[in-house]
Amino acid sequence: MSEFDAALGGFLISALRSSTPLLWVLLGEILTQRVAVVNLGVEGQMLAGALAGFAATLATGNPWIGLIAGVAAGMALSSLHGLLCVGLKANPFASGLAVWMLGFGLSSFYGIPFVGQKINGFKSMPLGFLERIPVIGTLVTQITPTVAMGILASPLLGWWLYRTRTGLSFRAVGESLSSAKALGLKTAWVQVMGIMAGGAFSGMGGAALSVDYTRNWVEGMTQGRGLVAVGLVIVARWNPYLAIPAALLFGGAEALTLRMQTSGVPISSHLLHTLPYLASLAVLVLSYSRANKEGGTPAGLSAVFSQSQ
Amino acid sequence: MGLVKKILLSVACMSLAVAVAHGAGTKVGYIYVGPKSDYGYNYAMDQGRLYVEKNMPGVKTVSFENVPENAEVERVMERMIKSGCTIIFPTSYGYLDPALNVAKKYPKVTFMHGGGFKTAPNLGTFFAGIDDAMYLAGITAGSMTKTKKLGFLAAHPIPQVLRNINAFTRGAQSVDPAITTTVVWTGTWSDPGKEAEAANSLVDAGADVLTGHVDSPITYTQTAEKRGVMAVGYHADASKFAPKGWLVGAAWNWGPMMAKIVKSVQDSTWKPEHIRGDLMAGDAGLTAFGPSVPAKVKDLVLAKEKEFKAGKTKLWTGPIVKQDGAEIAPKGTELAMANLEGMDFFVKGVVGTVK
Repeated sequence: MSEFDAALGGFLISALRSSTPLLWVLLGEILTQRVAVVNLGVEGQMLAGALAGFAATLATGNPWIGLIAGVAAGMALSSLHGLLCVGLKANPFASGLAVWMLGFGLSSFYGIPFVGQKINGFKSMPLGFLERIPVIGTLVTQITPTVAMGILASPLLGWWLYRTRTGLSFRAVGESLSSAKALGLKTAWVQVMGIMAGGAFSGMGGAALSVDYTRNWVEGMTQGRGLVAVGLVIVARWNPYLAIPAALLFGGAEALTLRMQTSGVPISSHLLHTLPYLASLAVLVLSYSRANKEGGTPAGLSAVFSQSQ
Repeated sequence: MGLVKKILLSVACMSLAVAVAHGAGTKVGYIYVGPKSDYGYNYAMDQGRLYVEKNMPGVKTVSFENVPENAEVERVMERMIKSGCTIIFPTSYGYLDPALNVAKKYPKVTFMHGGGFKTAPNLGTFFAGIDDAMYLAGITAGSMTKTKKLGFLAAHPIPQVLRNINAFTRGAQSVDPAITTTVVWTGTWSDPGKEAEAANSLVDAGADVLTGHVDSPITYTQTAEKRGVMAVGYHADASKFAPKGWLVGAAWNWGPMMAKIVKSVQDSTWKPEHIRGDLMAGDAGLTAFGPSVPAKVKDLVLAKEKEFKAGKTKLWTGPIVKQDGAEIAPKGTELAMANLEGMDFFVKGVVGTVK
């Protein structure tokens, strides 16, 4: 394999790996915002998912059970957001912050005994001839289940949102609660579903980080990835099909900053670390200046923002 | 994040206070900024606590982990004092000013801060240089590497980190001057995701031995094992995370120093000073070698360790050449103290940028 193939393949898989936890959370937050609810609590849900996933993998020795536990923990925490902002009509921003703090505090406290523990991650699968193809070979030999599942989840969710009846009900609720009600939809139920789906996906993102990506649990290990995903929803224009490029934009830039350092590029690391944020911001500005002003915002969601002003 | 942590902390504080309210002998309190099971800085400090408890009859210890570096730690210290602690080890750098505040209020309690640069009548500091051990780990890495490329994952370009990188590199170059160390900055003390990716990018760039200076060595050690390359640890023995690829680690050994400090307080010989240990005194050293390190390499490393311990060689003796080729310490001279304490350069053979 030539050096170029190794470098390109290495960069691609690195970008995918860095993007995967983000991608899961991003898909979840897209679903939540599609029903006109913003959930800043995804950061806390991710942490709950990361800890539950790590703990369950440690207890059972099975990383698949870890992922399921992560999903469950994310959903459990998000149900609180559902209760607060749909059930009790609380301000979604305040409620989201509360969920974030709770997820952070609880996972830090209950996570103490799990620091320094060792879990077994997924075993790598032998892929025969595929491994010998340049670039693709590097990719497939290092791909892990959560990366592959994330790549599949994005188009599946896109299809579901735009092509199925339940997807339509999500979109209807997000555009206009009153019209959706007039159509006979149980809007509160749909909104709770959207929030819980967001919880499931963010929990999965956290578990992907702890169980698959790093095989480690550390207090506050998501380091703002959940909040970044909330921002990336705008870049992805609330469209699951665009979630992969949006997540790759950030994750790829992060991978690039680390790789540029190993190749000895003489740029300050402090500057390099701002690259993911700069890249996302640039795409946001470009896409807004070129397309319509809403950029695909569900109408009901715009109302949430204008209300809070 | 403050409120939830505060509530949990105060609940835990109360139970702690109840737990240690009664008993005889000296009570020593330990405060850690992170979890004591991190196989890193806090773990090493806690190993020191366990040593004191085990080797000093009549001495009891209490410890508190995950305490943030703000007013919170003052409250934890006051709780400890009310529960009978007469010696307190606030082990994290950011605890210095809070410790000075509390020390003023409780002149009968002795405070020993980890790594600080200020003292008070009842507050001293302790720390140890670990760069000799990093040099020895570098010899090990330099003897084992096949690609002649080592990878170093680091959080922030501060003097202590730069000393470790340079010491490690010089150790490796003592085996083969052609060896290079590639440095990747993660920009944070703890972000396992970034650490995993930094480790992967170092492996992809050809490094076959990874080491680092972040809070916990677990992530990069595990990633090295996963990618089939070797790992050198830092802070503590993390060999269980890389049963095949673990070479050796540079680790702290706080126990004896802490025991001496406690003893001096008991004997009333304690003075407010900056206690600084090193390899020679046994406060830092190497962990056990991994199974892949041959006897020949072990002998080489241990021989050098003996020289350091006997004071025959000093680590920062010239010629020391900076990354850009400028000589900062000519042959036979020692690197100036200011250059050592405030190190802001890479030695030749390090790939990366300091700023």
